Amino acid sequence: MATTCTISISSDVAPGFGGISESMTLTQAGTLVDIDSTTGFQRRKLSATAAVDLVTMASELIEPKDSVASKIFIRNIGDNKGNIDKSVGVTIGVKAEPIGKLYGGDWMMMPLTCIDADDLTATPATDDTVVLEFVMFYEEA
Amino acid sequence: MATTTAAVTLTSDLLSDNMSVSASTTCMKAGTTADGLDQMEYVLVEIPTGDEYDLIATTPTASKGSKLYVKNHSTDETYYIAITQNSQAIGRLYAGDWMFIPADFHDAAGDIAITSVGGTNKIEYALFHEGTVLSAT
Repeated sequence: MATTCTISISSDVAPGFGGISESMTLTQAGTLVDIDSTTGFQRRKLSATAAVDLVTMASELIEPKDSVASKIFIRNIGDNKGNIDKSVGVTIGVKAEPIGKLYGGDWMMMPLTCIDADDLTATPATDDTVVLEFVMFYEEA
Repeated sequence: MATTTAAVTLTSDLLSDNMSVSASTTCMKAGTTADGLDQMEYVLVEIPTGDEYDLIATTPTASKGSKLYVKNHSTDETYYIAITQNSQAIGRLYAGDWMFIPADFHDAAGDIAITSVGGTNKIEYALFHEGTVLSAT
């Protein structure tokens, strides 16, 4: 029961930069055992600038274990009608701390604590419709 | 235009039907559609246990389009780095794990900080950005 994630980064910013290509298998904390739980793949449509919880840790049907090897993948797919605006984004945060802004088409892969207070938040820059895809992988408490 | 592209493939057989997601994005400056990120740092460092260290030595211009890649190259699966931003715990990267995030660096307190646990962790990071606040000598 494996979950793997591969990243490839290419760039012509610095001459001689050969790019990055790495793969990881998501495992449970401190072991080589595969991670065993997921929220499944989800979509969330946002149409206002108010901050919302993308993941409310205390409300997960299966309680995630705190402070281990959890990860989340998030992607901004635009308005889900083929319009992807790279100039407008959604700020992703943990609790009240803004991590960064996902512009149209951008994606991120980030570790999470899954502590109940550390909800994952999303705050669109405008009230134009934007859809986020996300999936969280975690260990069952 | 400088061009930086980040692609990902995520596969999982945890669910009844296998999941496979692929995505690719060109990393642009904040609020633009035709101007790519044009500066970068690319570093490999060994982080000893004990203290919490700022991963980024100079603060990129705040609230822009920066992207940060971090990989833990440790080989002992019990080793990890704990990542915080502005004292907010973000998560842990165990040996072999990587992350790729948009990095806000909202102010001087918004640096990404890491603490090495288990032993000395070898960390690779690449920061793609559009400007840095340089420190005068």
